[in-house]
Amino acid sequence: MEKNLIIFNNMTYLMKAKELLRKNDIRSRTVRTPSSLRRGSCGYSLQVNSDYERAYRLIKDSGIPMTGASAVDFG
Amino acid sequence: MIYFDNGATTFPKPQSVINAVSRAMRTCANPGRSGHRLSVRSSEIIFECRQNTARLFDFDKPENVIFTNNCTAALNTVIRGTLKEGDHVIISSLEHNAVLRPVADLKDRGVEYSVASVIEGDNDKTLDNFRSQIKGNTRMVVCTHASNVFGVRLPIERIGAMCRIYGILFCVDAAQTAGVMPISLKDSDIDYLCTAGHKGLYGPMGTGVLVINSETTPKSLIQGGTGSFSSELAQPDVLPDKYESGTPNVSGIAGLNEGVKFVLNKGISNIRAHETDLAQRLYNGLSKNSRVILYTEPPSSGGHAPVISFNIEGMDSEEVAETLNQRFNIAVRAGLHCAPLAHQSLGTAESGTVRAVMSVFNSAPQIDYFLNSVNKIATLTSKKVAIDT
Repeated sequence: MEKNLIIFNNMTYLMKAKELLRKNDIRSRTVRTPSSLRRGSCGYSLQVNSDYERAYRLIKDSGIPMTGASAVDFG
Repeated sequence: MIYFDNGATTFPKPQSVINAVSRAMRTCANPGRSGHRLSVRSSEIIFECRQNTARLFDFDKPENVIFTNNCTAALNTVIRGTLKEGDHVIISSLEHNAVLRPVADLKDRGVEYSVASVIEGDNDKTLDNFRSQIKGNTRMVVCTHASNVFGVRLPIERIGAMCRIYGILFCVDAAQTAGVMPISLKDSDIDYLCTAGHKGLYGPMGTGVLVINSETTPKSLIQGGTGSFSSELAQPDVLPDKYESGTPNVSGIAGLNEGVKFVLNKGISNIRAHETDLAQRLYNGLSKNSRVILYTEPPSSGGHAPVISFNIEGMDSEEVAETLNQRFNIAVRAGLHCAPLAHQSLGTAESGTVRAVMSVFNSAPQIDYFLNSVNKIATLTSKKVAIDT
């Protein structure tokens, strides 16, 4: 099963982004980042199931630093 | 017990703070390390506290709100993490040992310090005294927002503006004023704001806050696991991780979060008005007793935090505090209050003072009982002195 992840380099930025998405009615969930994507990050990502592209754009436009974004197959 | 030792820590704490600490103990695990919900819940609470603390100080960067063990730890981070050999730092004559001892300790490492005298009621003169201490190598000014002994408020807006003009970093110790006096970091010249979480913010003891409002970030004094950049040898430079190695005080921060919300809900102007009224009532009552010595102008003059220091003629300050404790069930603090410089400034370095500090939980009847108690002690002492002579 594929999941859309937005990856951060620290928990505080992730929480800022989660709050931003919440204010824009986008639901997200804090999850551990798969080891293969973790380099340089805090080990946490936001999993966004719907409105993924809008979520990514909102975070990018806000200036909250992201490490990356990825669609991951969790099997 | 009637409690006026709020300058040391506020007591009691709001019930919401007590509940939050208990709830965190029951429902939270180590934040920023694992992916299960108990860990994520902790991270959410900590972030909420950063947001609320930022809001309290009119600040838009919650990631620059650093949690520490106390105000002393925050001040040490700024002082020791910024000053280096060859630097000069200016402090005020009303500083607590949380500032004085770190700068004195750095003397061995080639950092020199100067003391600027604070003149109560004359901000122009106080500012001149700071300005006259500036040298070519002055890197920082560190000063209290208001004296923890006498409540005298420093003109931090003007000192900050002066620092900006001279390119000097400015650090404020707001241990006695956060939650009591408005502090805005929006367009502020304060680079570093340090405060306790357990005084005017009503959080648990063992909590403190450092807010960094500068591009110049101090070196971290402690390195270790942050849950971020784990494969890298170097301490992360990103905030707040840079200063928050190791497991944080989650239950304390959860309590602090509720304490900050308590202050935000009450409103700082309401808190200040209530506490200033009580301090003024106490001051008025004490000033009517000819055996009581007061050291400052009235607190309602605008230049003071709600802190009253006094002595009873012919009595040791510790003896007064002990009698209030034993006979009248009143809690105050006596002695030097970890601020020998302040006592030198007002001539009480030998005797110390008795200090009463207000909180939102104090009331006018408590002040009246306190005044009655002090008057009884003064009368008894007066009779004892008469018999002795």
